[in-house]
Amino acid sequence: MRNYQSVLILKPDLDEAQVDQSIEKITSIIKKFGGSILKLDNWGKKRLAYRVKKNKFGYYLNIYHTCEQGGVPDLEKEYQLYELIIKYLVIRLEERDIERVMSQKADEAESAGAEEAGGPKKDVAAEKSDKD
Amino acid sequence: MKNPTKKKRNLFTQKICRFCSEKIQFIDFLDTKLLKPLISERGKIVPSRISGNCARHQRQMTEAIKRARSIALLPFSVEH
Repeated sequence: MRNYQSVLILKPDLDEAQVDQSIEKITSIIKKFGGSILKLDNWGKKRLAYRVKKNKFGYYLNIYHTCEQGGVPDLEKEYQLYELIIKYLVIRLEERDIERVMSQKADEAESAGAEEAGGPKKDVAAEKSDKD
Repeated sequence: MKNPTKKKRNLFTQKICRFCSEKIQFIDFLDTKLLKPLISERGKIVPSRISGNCARHQRQMTEAIKRARSIALLPFSVEH
């Protein structure tokens, strides 16, 4: 079992529910090849540096996962066939890289805990958006 | 002014690798803020001769830029 990083760009004209659905679908695809997700980042909508399949924007997903040896070509093929993905990149990570990523995650959790004082403000903003 | 060559040499200050000076161990291709200054106006990779990067970091940086390009975080070329 090796560690990999997949960066996926989804179509820009999706709403949040569709993005969540596609995340579930991608999770099931990864599980199909004997892998499990270690960390998933949703970067939201970003401007692309160049046009991809006539799209100027895209939803970025950054997934750290494991996969069975030899499963990556099949995984890439599944990505190609999934119509909501417009571009993908799968790279293999060495053991020290994945350790670095996981330690980063721990740092982020710590800093989030430290910033709890700023928490209520964020909640207010979330409520506002719900009302809208 | 007795020794013009010496004066000329002083104009070229020693360039220092920015990754070494900031003690960056790993260059992440998702970190576009870090990589943006290392591509030219046209989107080309700046050579180490100009940027002053050490060979090891220049190699890592080149790979990071190429990966960022393939996932549309950085441009392959900028049209004028």
